[in-house]
Amino acid sequence: MKMQLMFPAMLVTALVGAAPLAQAGELTVSITNVRTDKGTLLVSVTNTEAGWNNQEKPVAATKLAATGKDAVVHFTLPAGSYAVQVMHDENDNGKLDTNFMGIPAEGYGFSNNPQVMRKANFSEAKFDIGDAASSIVINLR
Amino acid sequence: MKRRELLTLLGGALVSGAPRWLLAQTPQAPGSRAFDALAARDAWLAGWKTFGRESVGPTAATLEGRWPGSLSGTLYRNGPAWFDRAGVRYQHWFDGDGLMQGWRIGGGRVSHSARMIGTYKFQQEQRSGKFELPAAGTLIENPRTIRNNDDVNTANTAVVRLGKRVFALWEGGSAIEIDPDSLQTRGPVTWRDDLVAAPFSAHPLLERDGSAWNFGSLAFFRGSGLIIWRIEADGRLGRFQVLDTPEPGYLHAFAMTARHLVFMLMPFSLNKVDGAFFQRMQFQTHKPCRVALVPKDALDAPRWFECEFASAYHFGDAFERGDEVVMRVVRHRDAEEARSPMAAAMRGQRGSSTLGTDLASLHLNLRTGAAHWQTHEIMGVEFPTFDERSPGPAHLFTPCTVGKADAPYFNGVASIDVEQGRLRQWRYGARVLVEEHRFVPKPGSSRPGEGWLLGTLLDYERGRSGIALLDAERVEDGPVAMAWVPNTTPLGFHGWFAAS
Repeated sequence: MKMQLMFPAMLVTALVGAAPLAQAGELTVSITNVRTDKGTLLVSVTNTEAGWNNQEKPVAATKLAATGKDAVVHFTLPAGSYAVQVMHDENDNGKLDTNFMGIPAEGYGFSNNPQVMRKANFSEAKFDIGDAASSIVINLR
Repeated sequence: MKRRELLTLLGGALVSGAPRWLLAQTPQAPGSRAFDALAARDAWLAGWKTFGRESVGPTAATLEGRWPGSLSGTLYRNGPAWFDRAGVRYQHWFDGDGLMQGWRIGGGRVSHSARMIGTYKFQQEQRSGKFELPAAGTLIENPRTIRNNDDVNTANTAVVRLGKRVFALWEGGSAIEIDPDSLQTRGPVTWRDDLVAAPFSAHPLLERDGSAWNFGSLAFFRGSGLIIWRIEADGRLGRFQVLDTPEPGYLHAFAMTARHLVFMLMPFSLNKVDGAFFQRMQFQTHKPCRVALVPKDALDAPRWFECEFASAYHFGDAFERGDEVVMRVVRHRDAEEARSPMAAAMRGQRGSSTLGTDLASLHLNLRTGAAHWQTHEIMGVEFPTFDERSPGPAHLFTPCTVGKADAPYFNGVASIDVEQGRLRQWRYGARVLVEEHRFVPKPGSSRPGEGWLLGTLLDYERGRSGIALLDAERVEDGPVAMAWVPNTTPLGFHGWFAAS
């Protein structure tokens, strides 16, 4: 079983297709420990197990160039439970590079920063937000 | 190959915090302050003290004896050297961050330089001032999550020059390239894009043409299996093979004959408690070791043997004679001690004695498929080296203990003619710690065995580190030349002489 953190095609589609959500609070995602200023950070937000497992579109997603050790992105979301994953596509080839054993060669991270050496599952990464502004920190590994 | 999940080596350490009882169970694990107090009393503990600086030197060495004009090059040495941060001291010798040393010899002078290897782990922890990444033998509380095994690569075990490139080696991750002159770290090496961070272990063996064989154990990850590497003399990846193994087996090194690679796998399991790899590891001494005899021209066609369990880190020469393959093995008689060698010294304590080892030969019968051990009644040796030009049985050169030693470590060097059962020794002194001695062929010589031994020493009575040069064929005469610098560096594991 290789470690598959994201399904890039779906993420890219989401980047194009994600529509703004009405009546919502702002979620600020601070991303730390960006190891190189090359490439792109891809951030996706899901609110279901299926979304987390790439079986449906994320509810929100964005990408930004990696320009320093930290990055901040904002999402506007209705109150609910969400999970966020971040991939640092350092060589901009549209995927998280791994070696022949499936071990990642590029940066990634999950909301709640769970101490697991695999893709976190939805329940480990899930957090709740209300109508008020909220913020989380994701430490890239 | 059965593994696919991530990192048993780290996995246990990464599962939240440690149960308190596990930490409490560790015998008298002192913090740095307690160790320092003990080291102030027992000078031999200099061998296990934290180096504490990013680099020293070059320092001109004080010479003794007569250094041959024909000997020119660098003796590189690598070993763990940073054991303490923020009052926390590692419990396992193998955890320390790697220190690369270079003893430059030539033109009638010897100089010494040392530089901490700039791994990702070392750089991160230098910045933070605390241990925050998982270690192989010590549980780090609330460690940072890691991207892959190279995040915890300490590059602290050995050093090799392949072609003109110098690499610091560990056993669970990439080779780390080192600038041959400045000793500065160039970074991890990826031999092929899909092999990033694949384990490239610490004891590659070289063919006469400069190409190298090596392995990487997938048992550090969940599952089992071996990578076999072939690096060509120009530094390109020549061959890569993944070998299935019958069950998880630990191995640190291997041996080879002219035609075969020999891998001895020690069966182990990981107990269920949280802890670092070497804390969870249990050798399964009731099971046989599995031995893979792999033809160099058919890496995917191993022949498997079974032999009575033995724990071993290092092997000497191997050769083929009649129907047999014979391999020299340094066995650790106490498998539990072998899990954490010199653990008492890491705690600032004397422990029972020097490493409890014996030299044995493993015989693999190609006709019957049977394997058996032959003992040689040679005890207390480690870190064997030999003249790789030897076509058959080679003499082994090892640190050893001769007569009285004030510290629980080697104080001499031995030349062992295994076939004849003949041992020649030199004793440096009761208060000198003796490390691996590399065999260096004399320039222009082609006769196997004709060469020098070049070894490193820690003279704790006089607070100095040094190197000694001996005639490999007259070890009992002692050094023909020595060189000393007026400070000590922690003991290391393995070196490499790169002739210039």
